[in-house]
Amino acid sequence: MSAIALENLTKVYGSGVTALDGLTLDVSDGEFVVLVGPSGCGKTTALRMVAGLESITAGTVRLGDRVVNDVSPRHRDVAMVFQNYALYPHMSVYDNIGFALANQGMPKPERDRRVRSAAAALGLTDMLNRKPRQLSGGQRQRVAMGRAIVRQPSVFLMDEPLSNLDAKLRVAMRSEVLRVHKSIDAATLYVTHDQVEAMTMGDRIALLSDGTLQQYGPPGELYDRPANLFVARFIGSPEMNLYEASLDDSGGLVLGSQRLELGVLPAALAARAGQKVVVGVRPEDLTIAAGAPSAPASGSRAELAADVRMVESLGSELHAFFRIDAPAAGDGGTEQAVAEEGSLGLASLAYNGVARLGPRSGVRAGDRVTFGVNIGQLHFFDGDTGRAIR
Amino acid sequence: MTTGELTRRERARRDRIAEQDREIPVELYGLRRGTVTLLTVLAFLFAIFTLIPIAWIIINSTKTQANIFETFGFWFARPFEFFHTFSLLFQNVDGYGTFIQWFGNTALYAALGGGGATALSALAGYGLARFRFRGARLAFFVIIAGLLVPITALTIPLYLTYAKAHLINSIWGMVLPSMISPISVYLMRTYIELSVPHELLDAARIDGAGEWRIFYRVALPLMVPGLLTVLLINVVAVWNNYFLPLLIFNINTKYPLTVGLGLWSDRAVNSGDADLYPMLVMGGLVTIIPLIILFLVLQRYWRGGMLLGSIAN
Repeated sequence: MSAIALENLTKVYGSGVTALDGLTLDVSDGEFVVLVGPSGCGKTTALRMVAGLESITAGTVRLGDRVVNDVSPRHRDVAMVFQNYALYPHMSVYDNIGFALANQGMPKPERDRRVRSAAAALGLTDMLNRKPRQLSGGQRQRVAMGRAIVRQPSVFLMDEPLSNLDAKLRVAMRSEVLRVHKSIDAATLYVTHDQVEAMTMGDRIALLSDGTLQQYGPPGELYDRPANLFVARFIGSPEMNLYEASLDDSGGLVLGSQRLELGVLPAALAARAGQKVVVGVRPEDLTIAAGAPSAPASGSRAELAADVRMVESLGSELHAFFRIDAPAAGDGGTEQAVAEEGSLGLASLAYNGVARLGPRSGVRAGDRVTFGVNIGQLHFFDGDTGRAIR
Repeated sequence: MTTGELTRRERARRDRIAEQDREIPVELYGLRRGTVTLLTVLAFLFAIFTLIPIAWIIINSTKTQANIFETFGFWFARPFEFFHTFSLLFQNVDGYGTFIQWFGNTALYAALGGGGATALSALAGYGLARFRFRGARLAFFVIIAGLLVPITALTIPLYLTYAKAHLINSIWGMVLPSMISPISVYLMRTYIELSVPHELLDAARIDGAGEWRIFYRVALPLMVPGLLTVLLINVVAVWNNYFLPLLIFNINTKYPLTVGLGLWSDRAVNSGDADLYPMLVMGGLVTIIPLIILFLVLQRYWRGGMLLGSIAN
């Protein structure tokens, strides 16, 4: 039985705006599920509906074997960490952590033991007498976590808990959150807009856009088998290169003025022969064909010539931004949404693709290079529906 | 010593310094030096204008009746009668009642009326600011409309209602209307909207607190500066209220200071036999002192930064 089960969960606000449209999702005991998506996709609304802080327009929320649609938050036995911590400013760290237990009427000695053990688990023992204003951002974050774990809840909700921390602390807290999750073993629903957080933390990821679920599965599945163009664009950084292309009758992919030999096509793709498709290739599936400029492509490899326009070195790797003469697959709405996430995107017309290369590949801006393309890792989508062809 | 164990004084000092550091030097406001000087002079003149009556009342509380009329009003004159006049406040003059009793009445009415108004406005403001319910907007507009009705327009209906409800000469006739303060509800609603974040209430709900407990354990501590403002406004309003007690009280043992002093004033003007002017002056002085003390005591609680550390932005 799942610890959290959402069925057709829908939220329509009084103004007529649909924030969440028929979300169906289940979280097993002890599972860590990440709800991810761009701003305004409905992920926080969904979380608040599970918590009981938002009324439900349609559908059901089930916690364990209980439908809780009409149960008040205080009787749902959920703990929640808020994006901005929401610590009680006039209470000490001790009282902040112990507030929920005091509300339950737990006897003082037991309460004291639980508060101290939660504080110890989070390294807050020395700060129990301080007020929130006397703490650093990371410490406040821990107090917010402590307040949630001290209750030993069966369901743990987190609303972008790391988004207010600086980059370095955020990375450190990721593993801390997972450690805490493992220790309390509660079903966790974690909201973030950061796909890196989603990929690194989630047992499963639910990707939302415009209130609808795009794909739900383990991180590897979303990365390797994106269900549609939105998922393909959202997951991965730098994002997947996507082009309008067409399949010819002899198993070749026509990409602008170039043709890639695909070999034997899977049935779903073969049925599209002679039609337009959108093809996607991840930046790491483009490699520099080392030392053999005209080596014939093996069965699983093909070549793609491109003009490198700009190179960014990250030290451990090199991002080569290039241009080929195939049109990039455009999709106004999602492209904008993805750009918001801070990736460099393809906004500038100067390039329409990026390759992730080794740090010593020696590629420079202005080079004309030939990439080896990992044919087995190409992704194909229907240009009209955006759905993956498989 | 860790920061958790700073004394109250040290904390206050640190907060003051932090406050000053955020201020911008006056030159950077883009005002000319001449403008700044002019504004300073105007503010100074206004301060003198406001403080002159207080200086006059302090000086003249030391004089005899003859000296009040015959000597320069802004300087002292012998004999020094301050303590003698002060002692007269405790005596019943010609059966009109004693100042000290009126003082007690005023304090009682102000405490009950001001405290009640503050409690009611806090609850009403919280409800209007933080709950969505049918008719909330209408209720708020009706309350605000109450601001527009002048009390004098209500004299006759109020008196007739009081007579029917047996509230004439009852302290509740004084206290109950004083507890209704539309402007306070408006102030509290605005203050709560700005200083009690939704997230904290949500967090408390998730933490299993009931709504009453959320109100007094989470919201109320954050409302303190707003509550004190409202308390001060209402205590001063009740303290200085003349019209309502004049209307409802006709027994001088129920009078507040305002009506009692008014009685003395009539008496002093209309009959020359009583030596009442020094007592009027002294009575006026003693009447304003509690309000000044109240203000000085409360002002230390008007400080910002209540939410520091609670909500990350």
